[in-house]
Amino acid sequence: MQIYLPIAELPVNMFLIFGMGGAVGFLSGLFGVGGGFLLTPLLIFSGIPPAVAVASTTAQVVASSSSAALTYWRRRLIDTKLAAVLVVAGVIGSSIGVAIFSLLRRLGQLDLLIAVGYVTFLGFVGSLMLAESIRAMAHIRRGRPLPLRRPGRHNWVHGLPFKMRFRRSKLYVSVIPILGIGIGIGMLGALLGIGGGFILVPALIYLLRVPTSIVIGTSLIQMIGTMAVATILQSGTNHTVDGVLALILMVGGVIGAQFGARVGAQIRGEQLRALLGLLVLAVAIRFLVNLVLPPAEIFSLATLSGDAR
Amino acid sequence: MRRACRMPLAMPVLFIALALMASRAAAEDLIFTLSSDRIRITSDFRGVDLVAFGAIERDAETVSRGAGYDVVVVMRGPPETLVTRRKARFAGIWINRSSRTFPNVPSFYLASASRPLADISTPAILKRYQIGPENLAFQALGGPDEDGAFRDGLIRLKADAGLFDVADSTVSFPGTSVFKANLSIPANVPVGDYVVTAYLFRDSAMLARQSLTIRVSKEGFERLTFDLAHRYGYLYGLLCVVLALFTGWLAGIIFRRD
Repeated sequence: MQIYLPIAELPVNMFLIFGMGGAVGFLSGLFGVGGGFLLTPLLIFSGIPPAVAVASTTAQVVASSSSAALTYWRRRLIDTKLAAVLVVAGVIGSSIGVAIFSLLRRLGQLDLLIAVGYVTFLGFVGSLMLAESIRAMAHIRRGRPLPLRRPGRHNWVHGLPFKMRFRRSKLYVSVIPILGIGIGIGMLGALLGIGGGFILVPALIYLLRVPTSIVIGTSLIQMIGTMAVATILQSGTNHTVDGVLALILMVGGVIGAQFGARVGAQIRGEQLRALLGLLVLAVAIRFLVNLVLPPAEIFSLATLSGDAR
Repeated sequence: MRRACRMPLAMPVLFIALALMASRAAAEDLIFTLSSDRIRITSDFRGVDLVAFGAIERDAETVSRGAGYDVVVVMRGPPETLVTRRKARFAGIWINRSSRTFPNVPSFYLASASRPLADISTPAILKRYQIGPENLAFQALGGPDEDGAFRDGLIRLKADAGLFDVADSTVSFPGTSVFKANLSIPANVPVGDYVVTAYLFRDSAMLARQSLTIRVSKEGFERLTFDLAHRYGYLYGLLCVVLALFTGWLAGIIFRRD
């Protein structure tokens, strides 16, 4: 069934978009990530203008994150103070991100930034994940226990000034790395249309030593806050949020995520991480191929404000 | 959205009949009307077929030249300024390196003709009346166009998107002096005020022409959403966020497992 998207200004197959939302939702439920890093590329490769794909996925991430956050909220597994600091930083980051987004759109280099961003970022994170999970699997095969990371152990981050106490996480840590992480994730979110959960969660665990039980709920709150502000800013400055597209994706996504979470509960953690690492790398390689291979059409059209034509 | 074709034929026929009775100073004249004066883009819009009905009228002094008329009906969209960018290899990857700006490019151009344009008239005449996408008069700003490479690229991309098109043999002559042109409008048609011009040719000479306007606009929900997003972007963004939070909350309630 064809439906005309009012902002993207083209007709799409509603069931195809719904299916994409569902499939990405399934994977996001399976791996416990937001899925923005898969959804944005899928939309771009299926012909939605990159600017609309990024901004509409931003709204979709709000829906999928809030659905998941509800569970953590009920179980009180959220450090609200840490989440608040992260959201403030995230909002600063996404404002910078949206400003860069608008500028590059006018210069005609937005698609390049999105592609290069995905290649470098997902390439890096995917390789790390894959290496880590293979190491873990090798350890288990040899029957050795995994080296434990104790929350109490300190690293260079704990020597920084401007310390703040977070009771829920049992942390007394400098705000500098928290703000840094928040701003970085906010910028990436606005520029690439990704929630950034798969970066935020390891960063909170390994850099700040936030307890693992609290980390997911807290990062979900950060994503909701940051992506909600990014959606409003994208809509106000670039007018690229397609509500109809976002709604179809949201509904597909939240349904798919339920099934994904059920399947995910039956697979071992390190195997899941290896699969996720492969998936992340595959998306990065797909973008790299597009950048390196000579394009079929070297010309492109846009309006002065950067709308693709 | 096939409303345009369902319109009764009675009105155009009456219109043409009235027009035929009126006498004109020119030896040959042409008059036409469209099956619809408005194209409405709604959520189920998948393009529309627009029909132009017309008559060729000849005053008493003009000798009958029998058959042999050609008609071209051209539909032009509102002008826009476009930037054409060209990719080049830089440090191993393909990026946009150079660009040209073209003001006053018709956002949409569709020519419906009774025969291939090259058989209807001479290149000079077609160029003069801007008939056929390659004969459109827009020129590049900001640097020379390198033998029209950027202009050709623009025309090719517009044609690939279905926004620049020439349809031969879509004008038929049900009678010796009556014509009917089928204009197939694609789903990605830009909104705005369009000018539809009918040209009458014979032996390569342009004998007469007439223009009409037609409006393409989003209607209902599509219009509301588009206007809201462009006029009150922040409010629209806020609504999207509320919608997202509500969807997420609802899913959390429906699929609650604990």
